[in-house]
Amino acid sequence: MKNDTVNRLAERLKEPVRAFVQDSRVRIALLVNEVGQVLAQHGFTGGYQVVDVAALAAAANASARALAGLTGAERWTHLHHAGKERHLFLAPFDTPAGELILVAIFDQDSSLGLVQHFFERLAREVAALPELQAPQPLTDAATFERELEAGLQDILYRAVASED
Amino acid sequence: MTDEVFATVLDRVSRVPGVRGVLVVDAQAGVPVVAEVEDGVADSAVAALATALFRRAARAAEGSEFGHLDALQLEAEGGHVVVAGAGELLLVAVAAGDAQLGLLRLEVQRAVEDLW
Repeated sequence: MKNDTVNRLAERLKEPVRAFVQDSRVRIALLVNEVGQVLAQHGFTGGYQVVDVAALAAAANASARALAGLTGAERWTHLHHAGKERHLFLAPFDTPAGELILVAIFDQDSSLGLVQHFFERLAREVAALPELQAPQPLTDAATFERELEAGLQDILYRAVASED
Repeated sequence: MTDEVFATVLDRVSRVPGVRGVLVVDAQAGVPVVAEVEDGVADSAVAALATALFRRAARAAEGSEFGHLDALQLEAEGGHVVVAGAGELLLVAVAAGDAQLGLLRLEVQRAVEDLW
């Protein structure tokens, strides 16, 4: 997805994401496409954090999709990790322009059911945006793999550098 | 908790005239554990929103030093929602506007005792 398209889309995504955050009471929300490009975010304090989570979300989505395919589970709907204090919710959804992924982090102020409920509304609203009515050109396998690997390598490099 | 207990609870509350749906909900996750609802009652949405409402009301009750919240009743133009706590579970009943509310509250209370 080209930068000007991403910028225009990011503007249009602000309101649905704001409403999702407010109603579902999540602490952090991130919307990325399947190659890990950040389209909208709420609650992150550091730029690196956003990019890291976006790349990992795209990788997790790809892994979950492959696992579901291998096991005959067909399409996966969401991943929920219940931590001690914080929960992670990761869910893909379709738009005419391709698959997007929501990453949400919530605590005891929300619940899995509440996040699922408002995620469905968010997915409907986002899929109906005019900017997402045409397929986007960059989701071929080679580009996907290249961008994902670059993102993951960047994360791993920084993780190793921070240990030194 | 056995399936038999859940079945008894659902049956007991759904027999009250005017009841359109009964749900036993995971109070932490806000998702239905078991449910018996009429067509048109969105069980997942009701579970999520009733849990959120109950938790908020429980916090308000504690903040106001009213102590532990046992149950709450939401009255609206078209019907009622009764939510009662049972430890890690919530019992949610959705009823039409003309439901027998006194009987419903009594049966919800009894059902909650079965769930504990």
